[in-house]
Amino acid sequence: MVCEPFDIANVPGPAALGMVAAPETMAAVVSSAKRPLLVVGSEILRDEFYVDIAIEIGKKGIPIAATGHSIKGFLQKGYTENVSIINLHELTNYLRDPEWQGLDGGGNYDVVIFFGIIYYYASQMLSCIRNFCIKPLMRAISIDWYFHPNAAMSFPNIRPKDEDKYKEMLKKFVESIRR
Amino acid sequence: MTRFTRFLTLINVDDDFTRSPSDVVQKSKFFMRALRTKAQKECDTVAKELKGILDIAGLENVRIVIGKVAEEEEEWEPMGPHPKPGITTLRNWDFKLIQRYKPFYAPFCDMCCLCTYGKCDLSGNKKGACGIRMDAQQGRIVLLACLVGCTAHTGHARHLLHDMIKKFGRDVPVDLGPEIAVEAPLTRLITGIRPKTIGDFEEVLDYIEEQIVQLSDALHTGQEGSVLDFESKALHMGMLDSLAKEVADIIQIAAYKLPSSKPGGGPDVPLVEVGLGTIDTSKPVILVIGHNVPPAADIADYLMEHGLDDAVELGGICCTTHDTTRYYPKAKIVSALGRQLRAIKLGIADVIVIDEQCIRADVIELAQKTFTPVIATNDKALHGLEDRTYDEPDKVVKDLVEGKVPGVLILDPDRVGEVAVRTAMQIAPKRRAMKIIMDDEEFQHWVRLCYQCGNCTLACPIGLRIGGAMAKAATGNTKPLAELFDRCVGCGRCEQVCKYHIPIVDVITKAAYPYVKEERGRARVGRGPVWDTEIRDVGAPIVLGTIPGVIAVIGCGNYPNGTRDAYLITKEFADRNYIVVLTGCMAIDAALWKDEEGNGLYETHHGRFDAGGVINIGSCVSNAHIHGAAIKIASIFARRNLRGNYEEIADYILSRVGACGVAWGAMSQKAASIATGFNRLGVPAVVGPHGTKYRRAFLGRPYVKDDWKIIDARNGTEYHFEPAPQHLLVACETVEEALPMIAKLCFRPSDTDRGRSIKLTHYIDLHEKYLGCMPPDWHLFVRTTTDLPIAKRDELLKRLEDERGWKIDWERKRILEGPMRPYDASFDPTNLPRLVRKKE
Repeated sequence: MVCEPFDIANVPGPAALGMVAAPETMAAVVSSAKRPLLVVGSEILRDEFYVDIAIEIGKKGIPIAATGHSIKGFLQKGYTENVSIINLHELTNYLRDPEWQGLDGGGNYDVVIFFGIIYYYASQMLSCIRNFCIKPLMRAISIDWYFHPNAAMSFPNIRPKDEDKYKEMLKKFVESIRR
Repeated sequence: MTRFTRFLTLINVDDDFTRSPSDVVQKSKFFMRALRTKAQKECDTVAKELKGILDIAGLENVRIVIGKVAEEEEEWEPMGPHPKPGITTLRNWDFKLIQRYKPFYAPFCDMCCLCTYGKCDLSGNKKGACGIRMDAQQGRIVLLACLVGCTAHTGHARHLLHDMIKKFGRDVPVDLGPEIAVEAPLTRLITGIRPKTIGDFEEVLDYIEEQIVQLSDALHTGQEGSVLDFESKALHMGMLDSLAKEVADIIQIAAYKLPSSKPGGGPDVPLVEVGLGTIDTSKPVILVIGHNVPPAADIADYLMEHGLDDAVELGGICCTTHDTTRYYPKAKIVSALGRQLRAIKLGIADVIVIDEQCIRADVIELAQKTFTPVIATNDKALHGLEDRTYDEPDKVVKDLVEGKVPGVLILDPDRVGEVAVRTAMQIAPKRRAMKIIMDDEEFQHWVRLCYQCGNCTLACPIGLRIGGAMAKAATGNTKPLAELFDRCVGCGRCEQVCKYHIPIVDVITKAAYPYVKEERGRARVGRGPVWDTEIRDVGAPIVLGTIPGVIAVIGCGNYPNGTRDAYLITKEFADRNYIVVLTGCMAIDAALWKDEEGNGLYETHHGRFDAGGVINIGSCVSNAHIHGAAIKIASIFARRNLRGNYEEIADYILSRVGACGVAWGAMSQKAASIATGFNRLGVPAVVGPHGTKYRRAFLGRPYVKDDWKIIDARNGTEYHFEPAPQHLLVACETVEEALPMIAKLCFRPSDTDRGRSIKLTHYIDLHEKYLGCMPPDWHLFVRTTTDLPIAKRDELLKRLEDERGWKIDWERKRILEGPMRPYDASFDPTNLPRLVRKKE
């Protein structure tokens, strides 16, 4: 399934326009990853629910990169277990370096999950990953309520009035992660 | 070179186009022979005495043009190693920067569509048909953006020079007043020229234009293929951009006597009104838009000469308005670029006068909807209008007032004032009778028509959720819609995709109108260059770090979350005793907000280039004075030679001057070239999230130890050092994230322990204030105990011991082991081995 990018003119090229995927499909990608990373942005702060979702993913053993000022959400919830503060530009720069040892010293990542990041900033970073994180291949997926053509997989654009449905999708995504 | 050969280089032979090329050659040969055999001595003398055209009797149709007579220049400073650098001259410096701050690319588009081989799909870093890879293609696009930006400033400078020479002559002295001896630091630094009159800038512009042509050539298919060299060229373009800006601003300061260091200038410049609510629409209103001040200056002259300065409102948008208020402080700053569409649609202007840059491409169409005639004044932005430059003003005014034409073109700036003022005065009564702002009934009609399809959100550059706010307005709650007014970047894309043709921008403006009418702030007039005497006072504290940094708040208004961020960034750093200098749109937007007592930042903070100052430097081209201030620190405080010495001065600034640019709403190609120019000079910049669309950043990797090597110039010892500054160009997602990042990018290896302690205090404090916790990398900037913030010294020592395993002598409270390098107060950091005084 293909749909319109959230920023409608953001059509990067023939190889982009990644697929719209169901929560279970994306969870399967994360479940099979060797070194997944959850990259969280400031938009998670618009509702506690989203912070809780990020923490749930973190509790499944997936490290969290808190970008923007999203760290405040984790601090408020008292969850800092596997959360690292980092600027998204910096992080993406490190991700493209196969020699980078990751936030925990265990090596670079093979799947990154974008969540709660301003659309156009996320889109550019996803473009970098898609174009330059190729040896070894890194897959980037987005669980935001935007369709991201630069992500390998993302949800479709979701209207504010359908936010409850979106929340259900996120719950399903978390539940389906097996690690 | 002999006197004779020098003379030959100064002349050329110009045929009157009546003879064939072979005739010209013959004439030339004859002329040369004549010179050699008969008139060598006499001609040499004549050439020294004459500037202009010399007709030789008996040599029909031959004209000798004396271009410029070389004069023995006064030796004011020894020439450095790199006067008028070419493309490769500073390549080694660029490579040093790029080695540490590796270009990072985030393609905006996967394809190359520039030649007929294409389109080529470069995704996955593939090569196109010409052999260029995706990364190099991104570098190429960055160079192209910098080219566009640089040519805008250079074209502006050249245009100003033509106009000012025509109006005042080329001998207008470059006299910036008694407090400024280094009048043109970039010009001296890059070209080795010390300009005495505005005419001296011709040679500077000749140099810039020649370099631009060569750099542009490299963009052609089948030229450059290296990422590194594309970036080196972009840095070169950025440097030229900075130089062009200096030329433009000094020309207008000198010719129009704009504020400098003469009485009433510098920190004593007046305050002017800012905001959409400042315009008195009961008077005729002239709105100037763009960046080139001569037409607006002519309007001001006409108003003053005819005693109309209190009868007619002169307001402006974008940088022309900065420069207009520098010339005529009765003018008002209506808005920055972000409000342009809305200011036009509001219909406050009775006449719009456009010059160049940052003008909406649909200005004529928009103005027609509010019955506002447009006067275009610059050949770079003609907008299809008829040239009426030399028509009788009476006729032109009549046609505009009667609406026979949507606008006119008047290319002589000295003929704009009369037409603009008379048209505004005659058309204003007619326009007052017209309804422009929608009434409540129409507003309700539109908000009820919206069915929240979301098309506007998909079209919005920042994804504003307009539909939801419309739905609330339909129930009588207009607040959410009104709140979008400031966040909206003012592009108007939403209106084009609305299936019901709702005039969304107008509807939002209507909802916000009660606030818009009250939008009134005050800004200090752009003061132009920083004084040499101010640099003498602050040079040491900046280099030692006790003034923690110079924050340059610059660029356009494409903010992620509205104009308040401009206010917050400025206030936060000025309150912390940084020096905050502002230019362009951000200087305007920062003035829109007030504290609880109703005072704006320009009213609560002084305008000196000193700790805690909030200083409006001026328009986009005035950005050059921020470069200039950094350069003068090296020159005046550290006594480094400037002349033709770019590499050494940039090295000094990178290592010692804690300055950071903030282009939070960077939008245009000019912003790209401005930032790149700052970067080459060793000044890092933070951009907002839209800045990632420039495709390239310069990001450091602190975990790669070998990227962080620096030399002690005293003895050549090489050290690994802390990432100071960590990046040259980086984007932040939110202002909360940006504030500590800006503070972090003010660290420099030369900081004294006291200076480092102050900088670290602010970095930690801002991180705790806006992100709620200690920064994860604070320890990287600790070299010795006294680097630590005094109030937290014991606590932080304990954390270094517990969390980082550092060894602490608790009795003497000294760090024994742990820091990346030891602190040495005499450390003399450089990145240039040639500057080592004595090698071990």
